Amino acid sequence: MYGLVALGYHITWVTSRTMNFSQGTAVMAGAVVAYATFVGLGWPFLPSFIATLLALAVFGVIIERVAVWPFFRVASPAWLLSTIACGIIAENTAMLLFGKDARAFPSPLTQRPILVGGAGFYPQELLIPVAGLLLMGGVQLFYHRTGYGKQLKAVAYNPEAAGLMGIHIPRAVMFAYALSALLAGVAGVLLAPVLNVAATMGTIIGLKAFAVAIIGGLTSAPGIVIAGLGYGLVESFVAGYISTGAREIVGFALVILVLVLRPWGLLGSRPARRV
Amino acid sequence: MERLGWGAIALAALALPALTANTYYLYVAATVGLLVIVTAGLNVLVGFTGQISLGHAGFYAIGAYTAALLTTRAGWNPLAAVAVAILLAALVGAGVAGAALRVSGPYLAMVTIAFGIIVEGVLIEWVSVTRGPGGIFNIPKPGLQRSYWLIMVTAALALWLVANLRSSAWGRAFLAVRGSEVAAESLGLSAYYIRIVAFTVSAAFAGAGGTLFAFLNGYISPDSFTLQTSILFLLALLFGGTGYVAGPVVGSLVFTLLPELLTGLADYRLILYGGLLMLSIYWLPSGVVGALRQIFPRRRAQTRTQADLAPADAAKPHDRPVAGEPEQPLLRVEDASLAFGGVTALADVTLSVPARGIYAVIGPNGAGKTTLLNVLSGYYAPDAGVVRLNSESVSGRPPYAIARRGVARTFQTAQLFGDLTVLENVAVGVAGPRLGNVISALLAAPQARRQERELLQRALALIGAMGLLEWADRPAKALPAGLRRRLEIIRALARKPRLLLLDEPAAGLSSSEIQELDANLTALRDSGGPAIVLVEHHMDLVMAVSDQVSVLDYGRIIASGAPDVVRRHPAVIEAYLGASA
Repeated sequence: MYGLVALGYHITWVTSRTMNFSQGTAVMAGAVVAYATFVGLGWPFLPSFIATLLALAVFGVIIERVAVWPFFRVASPAWLLSTIACGIIAENTAMLLFGKDARAFPSPLTQRPILVGGAGFYPQELLIPVAGLLLMGGVQLFYHRTGYGKQLKAVAYNPEAAGLMGIHIPRAVMFAYALSALLAGVAGVLLAPVLNVAATMGTIIGLKAFAVAIIGGLTSAPGIVIAGLGYGLVESFVAGYISTGAREIVGFALVILVLVLRPWGLLGSRPARRV
Repeated sequence: MERLGWGAIALAALALPALTANTYYLYVAATVGLLVIVTAGLNVLVGFTGQISLGHAGFYAIGAYTAALLTTRAGWNPLAAVAVAILLAALVGAGVAGAALRVSGPYLAMVTIAFGIIVEGVLIEWVSVTRGPGGIFNIPKPGLQRSYWLIMVTAALALWLVANLRSSAWGRAFLAVRGSEVAAESLGLSAYYIRIVAFTVSAAFAGAGGTLFAFLNGYISPDSFTLQTSILFLLALLFGGTGYVAGPVVGSLVFTLLPELLTGLADYRLILYGGLLMLSIYWLPSGVVGALRQIFPRRRAQTRTQADLAPADAAKPHDRPVAGEPEQPLLRVEDASLAFGGVTALADVTLSVPARGIYAVIGPNGAGKTTLLNVLSGYYAPDAGVVRLNSESVSGRPPYAIARRGVARTFQTAQLFGDLTVLENVAVGVAGPRLGNVISALLAAPQARRQERELLQRALALIGAMGLLEWADRPAKALPAGLRRRLEIIRALARKPRLLLLDEPAAGLSSSEIQELDANLTALRDSGGPAIVLVEHHMDLVMAVSDQVSVLDYGRIIASGAPDVVRRHPAVIEAYLGASA
């Protein structure tokens, strides 16, 4: 699951060397929009899901236009702060519209837990990694097999040359942000029944996903997928054997450890030094 | 204008307790002071070295909890507790920095966030020591009035210390590392080490703020030390203006007072923060103070004249012992090879540079000349082969270590420290890695001041000797292109190198400037200056000044010898004209 959100960081990073530092807000936005349409307006699931995807793509484009493009254009690192600012604003807005309380999101897959040797879990929790892996596979196929995906990779490799070859860079970056927000939104919908929907639900998910992206290596999609699974496992072990509170401590200590040993992530590539 | 501002703030701080007995106002003002202390320290990291931390609430917490525990549990004297708390914050800061500063940009942001979250987690989980989410009560309170004065004095002290640091060799080194890490390393500065020091200083300031926070409130809990707090620190600093001593004051005032004034809109507080941040990123990229500085520029320092110079040093900028050097070459390269992903940049290059004279390396574009310089100065490690400096192998050593052995260089595109003045640029070269003690720099101790005066005088003399005096107090980024190269050479010479590597010093110069360069290089050689390796395209210059020439083509040396011999060498003619001889 973290892998899915983390992949969002990866997508915008390889295309533009920028990322939405408040990716967690997109997860929250996905859950909130799905809740508003599905529960609030009583739409059937499918239209509600499609509306969520559309809304998130728009969300991604807005973030890109407002917080990233003005700085990407002039190669300024201010995108880091401006995306944090946008995230804060979005979170506060959601809180005003949605209220401070968490709300339960009904799903047929969280009605009855399955018991496997003493540990109980919901089918939904099984669905999440499966759906996550499928989506990640889809994204990989898109990048490697379709013309537009290859164009995006070209932009990532060398924006200037890609621009000269007739690839529309602004559109490519915008697309990357839309796709990235969309993946986060799907994650939000999948998580909603498990975690309950709240305006503040995104922050910690976004941070953990970022940790996963860093551990796996921002430039490596397979690295991120592996790191995502690994991080989830470590977390549940720590939560099970030590305490729920120690989960975050161990998780983030792991990030620091990885960065000390392999600064560019497990499977990431070291950026070339330019003199 | 600036004096007026400082005066007004000081007056307000002094007058407030007399004007109002309202404890609420005093408390709010004390909170402003706390934020000033933390952001003044953060300014050293963010404003001077350009690194971002989103974890300083962690150091704030370490300061607060250490002081609180030592006074409540161990019954320590508050002063001793504060000292230990600051020390601990600094120590942890150094440790975190050692891990975090191996990376930069978003990676660094992540490590600092992770650190903050770990600290918060420990505060909540380690109940037996920290009392968990409930926090610690009954911390001895010195009373609001006394707390207020204590905090105000400390805040003023913090600003004074940071101002001292900025105008010391350390301050210049911080800005140099931000301006151009590559150039800073070529002058013997380890960017990694310098950033660790900046991080440690900022952690100590945050720790100090934390102790006062604990004593002001008498009660602390993990809620005060979340990621939000770290973000608030950074926001206040950015909004006020990074890099300016006054920035933290403005930012702290705005970010403490605004929410208090708008208590009715508490629900919109985060929107307000985010909006202010966006506003300042869009329209005030250097903060409120930066914008004010543009409207009311600082009066230029007095114009300098030749009379200000200490002439003794000026005539001979490099007092290297000339006699008694062995005949052994200064620099030897043995079979050095380097490939970039299958593309051969250097193939079995062997050459030796004598301790005196000018050694030119020429060749067509892409022949590997700059790569060779980068191998010599440590920016690239050769895949095979050895670089020996005075018969000691230095291949694989980092650039700053090689620079400390007496190698200085310039770059193909001049790498200046844009935010520093011309004088300060040269002063970074004069000081090199000898920055002194960071604590005496903070305190502006008499000894540090004396060293500083001597240092600046030497720098000024060098600038005067090379005819840049009228530019001395202008920022380096304001220099025209031709003078930028000259400044870069002066800065390199300021290190008193034994070997000077020049990467296309004539590129982009006018013909009269090239003649000047020619004269300067010749004078340098004839006055017993450093050995020079000159990479250059400009044939007239090379033929005029060099004692020995090597020609590189496709990463191989195809000819070596005296200029006249090389010029007639058939392989050289073929490489340049493409005709087979």
